[in-house]
Order: sequence, then C-alpha cells, then structure tokens
Amino acid sequence: MLKVLVKKQLAEVFKKYFYDAKKNKMRSRWAIAAWFLFFFVIMAGLIGGTFAFMSVKLCKGLAPIGMGWLYFLLMSGIAIVLGAFGSIFNTYSSLYLSKDNDLLLSMPIPVSSIIASRLISVYLLGTMYASAAFLPALIVYWVTAGITAARMICGIVLYLIITIIVLLLSCLLGWIVAKISLKLKNKSFITVLASLAFIGAYYFFYFKANNMVKDMIVNAVLYGEKIKGTAYWLYRFGRIGEGDFPAAAIFSAVTALLCAAVWMILSRSFLDITTSEGKTEKVRYVEKTVKERSAFESFLRKEFGRFTSSANYMLNCGLGILLMPAFGVLILINGKAILAVLNEIFTMREGFAEILVCTALCALVSMINPSASSVSLEGKNLWIPQSLPIHPKTVLRAKAALQLILSVPPMLFAVICVTAVMQNPIAEKLMICLIPLLYTVFCTAFGSYLGVKMPIINWTNETTPIKQSGFIAIAIFGSWAITVLFAAFYLWFGYKIGITGYLTLWAVLLAAFSLILFRWLETKGSRRFEEL
Amino acid sequence: MLKIEHLTKTYGEKKAVDDLSLHIHPGEIYGFIGHNGAGKSTTIKSAVGILKFDAGTVTINGKSLTEDPLGCKRDLAYIPDNPDLYDFMSGIKFLNFIADVFAVPAAERQEKIRKYADLFELTGDLAQPISAYSHGMKQKLAVIAAWLHSPKLIVMDEPFVGLDPKASHHLKEMMREHCDSGGAIFFSTHVLEVAEKLCDKVAIVKQGKLVKTGTMDEVKGDDSLEEVFLELEAE
Repeated sequence: MLKVLVKKQLAEVFKKYFYDAKKNKMRSRWAIAAWFLFFFVIMAGLIGGTFAFMSVKLCKGLAPIGMGWLYFLLMSGIAIVLGAFGSIFNTYSSLYLSKDNDLLLSMPIPVSSIIASRLISVYLLGTMYASAAFLPALIVYWVTAGITAARMICGIVLYLIITIIVLLLSCLLGWIVAKISLKLKNKSFITVLASLAFIGAYYFFYFKANNMVKDMIVNAVLYGEKIKGTAYWLYRFGRIGEGDFPAAAIFSAVTALLCAAVWMILSRSFLDITTSEGKTEKVRYVEKTVKERSAFESFLRKEFGRFTSSANYMLNCGLGILLMPAFGVLILINGKAILAVLNEIFTMREGFAEILVCTALCALVSMINPSASSVSLEGKNLWIPQSLPIHPKTVLRAKAALQLILSVPPMLFAVICVTAVMQNPIAEKLMICLIPLLYTVFCTAFGSYLGVKMPIINWTNETTPIKQSGFIAIAIFGSWAITVLFAAFYLWFGYKIGITGYLTLWAVLLAAFSLILFRWLETKGSRRFEEL
Repeated sequence: MLKIEHLTKTYGEKKAVDDLSLHIHPGEIYGFIGHNGAGKSTTIKSAVGILKFDAGTVTINGKSLTEDPLGCKRDLAYIPDNPDLYDFMSGIKFLNFIADVFAVPAAERQEKIRKYADLFELTGDLAQPISAYSHGMKQKLAVIAAWLHSPKLIVMDEPFVGLDPKASHHLKEMMREHCDSGGAIFFSTHVLEVAEKLCDKVAIVKQGKLVKTGTMDEVKGDDSLEEVFLELEAE
C-alpha cells in the first residue's frame, strides 16, 4: 500500500518533469532528461556552487589545524537551516492540506501509510536543499583533508542524519503551524507574519555569515575549546564527519529516537488536524447597503481576495512587497556609503553603482509575481469566468492589475528613496527612476504571459501552481537573468554610451517588450484563456 | 431560445457529441437524459460557451454563440454538475460578484438575495466562507447566483444532486415559474421521475447522438420514461 501512495506522491511532486500539461501528454525521454538537467544545474550549479565556495574557504582554514569537527558542525548547521527553511512552507500544506485527504481517508488505507507517503515528499524537498549545502562541504573536506574509509562512511552517516533532522524540524514546524492555524481567524496573515519573522532572522544570519566565517577561522582554536567545554555533544556531532564511529552510532540512535517521537506526535494528531474545520466562530450575516461595481473592479477584488486568502500565495508571490521598502530604507540610511564603496570598486566603469542599484530594485520587483500563478489558481473554478458574460481580456487585465497594484507603490517608495540619496544630474535620476518602474510593468506582462501560456489547471495542492511549476520558475529566474544581463551589458559595452544613453536604450526595450506581451494577452492570450 | 444545430465535438479520436440538434423554445423545461459519458455535459458546456466545438451552431435568444459569445452569456445562467465556487469568498461576496458582472442594480439584487436565500434557508450562512459550505449549500448558492440576473435561459447540469428534498422542491417550483414567465430551462438529469414530472420536452442522448426527442408524451407514450430509456439503451 505504501508503495502505491509513495508512487502517487512522487508522481505529483515530479509531475511537471514527466507530463506536459500544455499538450496534455507525457513528455519525451529527451524532454524529461532536459528538465532534470535544468533542475540539477539550478540546485548543484547555483546553490551548490555558492556553498562549495564557502566550504573551500572554511575547510582550508579549519581542517589543517585539526578543527575539521568545527567545519562539519558549521556546515551541518547551515544545511539544516537551509533544508528546514526551504521546505517549511511546503510541509504544512503537503502534510495536512492535500485535496485528496478525504478520498484517501475514506479508503481502506492505514493512516500511517498516508502520513508516511506525505513525509517522503517532505523528506525529498528538505533533502534537496540540505544536500545543496552539505554535499559540496563533504566533498571539499574529502579533497582537502584526504579521504579514508572511516571519513567516507561517517561522512555519509552524517549526511543522512542531517537530512533526517531537516525532516524532523520541518514536521515539527508544520505541526506547530497546523495547530496554531486551527485556532486563528486571520490565518493567512498571521502565517505570513510568522514566516516573515523567520525569513528575517534567516537573512540576518545569512548576511552576517561572511564576517562570522572570517571570525571563526581567526579564532577557531578559542571557539573550539569553548564549544568542547560548554557543548561537548556539539563537538561530538562535528566529529562524525572526521570519521568518529562511536559518535556516528550515538547520534544515529538519538536521531532514530527523535524520529519515533515525531512519528508518534504526527500519527496522533494527523486525523484531528486534517479533518478539523477549525474552531473559528461563525460570522453572522447582516444585510448591508451594496455598492455596485464594474465587472473589472469585481474581478480585481476577487483577485485580491484570492491573494490575501492564502499565506502560501502571499509569501511566494509577494515577498518583494516588503523587501522593496526595506531596500529603500536601507538606501536612505546607508545609501551614500554604499554608493561610495561601489564607485571606488568600479572606477573603470563610471555609473555602474547606479546601474547596480537599478539592478537590485529590478531583482526585488521580480519577487512579486502573482500574475504568473493566477490563471492556474483558477483551477476548478475556471468555469466561472468562462461562463460569465465577460471578455477574457478583462479577466486577464484584472490579474495583471493586481500585480501592478501590489508592486508599483513599493517600487515608487524605493525609487524615491534611491533618488533622494543619489547626487546624479536630473536626467540620470529620471532614468534611474524610470527603469525599475518600467521593469515592474514588464514583470507583470511577462508573468501574465507565462501564466496564460503554461498553465496547470488540474492540481491537487495549491503549492503546485504557486511554487512548483515551470512558469513560476521561469517568471522568477527569467526576470533575475534579465537583471543580470542589464548589469553585465553595461560593464561590457553600455558604459561607452553613458549611463543616460544606456538606460534610455533599456527603457525603450522594456517598454517595447511590455507592449508586445500585453498585446499578446489581449489577443492570442485571451483566446487561449477562453479555450483552457 | 436555445437552438443547437448539428453540434459535433471530438476529444482526440472520440466523438463526444455527434451531429446533435435541439431546439428549446421559451416557456419550455427541456430535460436531457443519457447514461454516464453519453455526451450530456459536453453538449451543455458547448451550449454555454465553455467548450469550443468542432462543428455546428448554437444560437441563444437569436444570437450566435460563436459570433456574439458575450451577448449570449448575458442571456443565460449556467450551473455545472459540481458547484466549484470561489472557496475564499463568503456566500454574499460571491453573489455580489456575480451580480456585479451582470450589472444587477443594488436594490434588485438585495431583494433577490433576500428572497432566494430565505427560501433555501441560507441567509444565516451568507457571511460564512464558501469553504465552510457543504455540497448542498454550494449548490443552493449556485442556484441563487443563477437566478440573480433574471436570465432568459438557464442551463443546468444535474441540478438536484446534493440538494435536500425541500430545496429540490423549491428549485422545481422556481424552474416552473421561470418558464411560465417566458424563460426556458435546459437541464440534464439522471433522476427520470423528476424529468417525467417536470419536463415539457425531453431529449435522450446515447454515445453523443440524439436518439429520441419530443414532448414527454411523444417520447414515452403509454410507458414510463424509465422503460423508454432502458429500452433505448438496450438497442
């Protein structure tokens, strides 16, 4: 039974790799291979590469002085945080909110098998993130300190222990979120706030990491002695990577015990949580004066309602709403110093500091992309706009309008902060304002285009259209790639035509592409939406 | 009111609807009967403009669905077989959303919401999110939404599924009233007793093809509708 459920669960997780929703058929072998290669490049190349670089720095400083255990302790901590962070948002919905809960619970399937199959998908996601950080660290250590049988076996055991700790942490956090959300009225907003606090803490440590690493290498012996004295078991944990068999055995046993405890908690509460309707009070209906609205306004309100009803949606498609004002404030406080440093670094390319600020703003606005998911999120409700007397382009306009309303005000705030700090001539300032604003419009058009072009209507968990689909990956990574090109082209040839000329060129390009994409949405896109 | 002529719809190799023609006049309750997979839902979805069809024409209140889809949709209301409504909205927000799209004046919509929500005993739950509704409550909400803009034609796919006996009774009365005031209703059902008592005309579809149509008397003669249906199915 478990095998069948796991197969179903994995088929759902990796559906997009095997199945082409657009053509409604299985992908070819080459296409499947290409999708997996793309995924591998992102995970191993991009994330893994970053951690490999960090590992080399740390390992070279720690391994030769016999502090390999401290290196493993640090890298394990990073892998655990990354793994748990990467899958925390997925855990709650994967474990408890799947649409097939009722169907599976009504069948003669042991609840334990359902939980186990769900846990496997959570485990895979957590392992994926943890591996991106820990596997490079392990390989770097083997290369730097030399490989022995003990180091190899214990290293692999440590890796497995880390993946299980990630799973346990994700489950506990998912369980806590589930317990809390059953008692909350404004679940989505509170979940967003709690998650943002977590993200804030994460990035705080992330940005401090470089200094911490340097400090750690310089004072490795001192810190090492302190940890040995006050947290002996952390020392033993790190020792596993160095080939300490007894430590590996002890921590394997402890992890197994923790696994059993978490399993007990989940098994006891799973049914209650999945079948509970929550304990919020019933809202009494009181007739109020109704305001008549246009069809567009009505659809726009509907899009807002959809966005604010889901913490998952807000967090994954609206994070930039908070990051942009934060960036604006950062520039207001430290902008002059940051620009001075950047100008000093890039003296050969005048104006590159301003280009980098624009790039940062564009990259941040790429993180607001509800329009990419919103067509797919219609899901089984698609019959409503299709059967109503409303032109598909009005529906698509409402979806695009949501993104513009969410992204233009924070972008405006950020560009005002940026221009307040910059000492450039007025024409340059205007262009520095214009580019991020045009990019905001372009991202909206690009996201809307992808949403209509590559929709996934038949999903069982809203996480699929929100964060696990090709269109959302292209919307984010594609937009980031364009911002990278924007900066890179300036370094390459843009500086020759001057900052105003270069920004004008991009303004024309962004405006032209936005117009083309919006035109497509109004014509072919509308027809496509009609036929979904 | 609804004229379907030579409608054909294929899914890959399979013809789901094959050269089907129907004509529903004002004042008629027209039942649509057939086994599972006979092509009822495909015909209905094609007739309301959700599905593109391969051949044939659909005319609603004199307007071609292909040439003037929005004009046609303004004159009709559709209730699907499974009332998947916007779960994140409350019942009242959904009704106002529909009323806004059809530009129903505020006073008129409030009066209708009051009338039908009271009739279906749903008033107390209108402020609740639709996600908290049972299947039957969603069905009632879909019915109220359908009646909100006084459509000329109402197309329903299995409208009685999930409704309690009282609500079913009210819906039947509403259907009759609607047709008596010049409207038309086209609906599919598996409940042959309901069709027999309620419908003025009936069409039986098999493997996408229309096998029998006409007034209830013409179709069933002295037999029951169930006997006629089973006989046709056996052929």
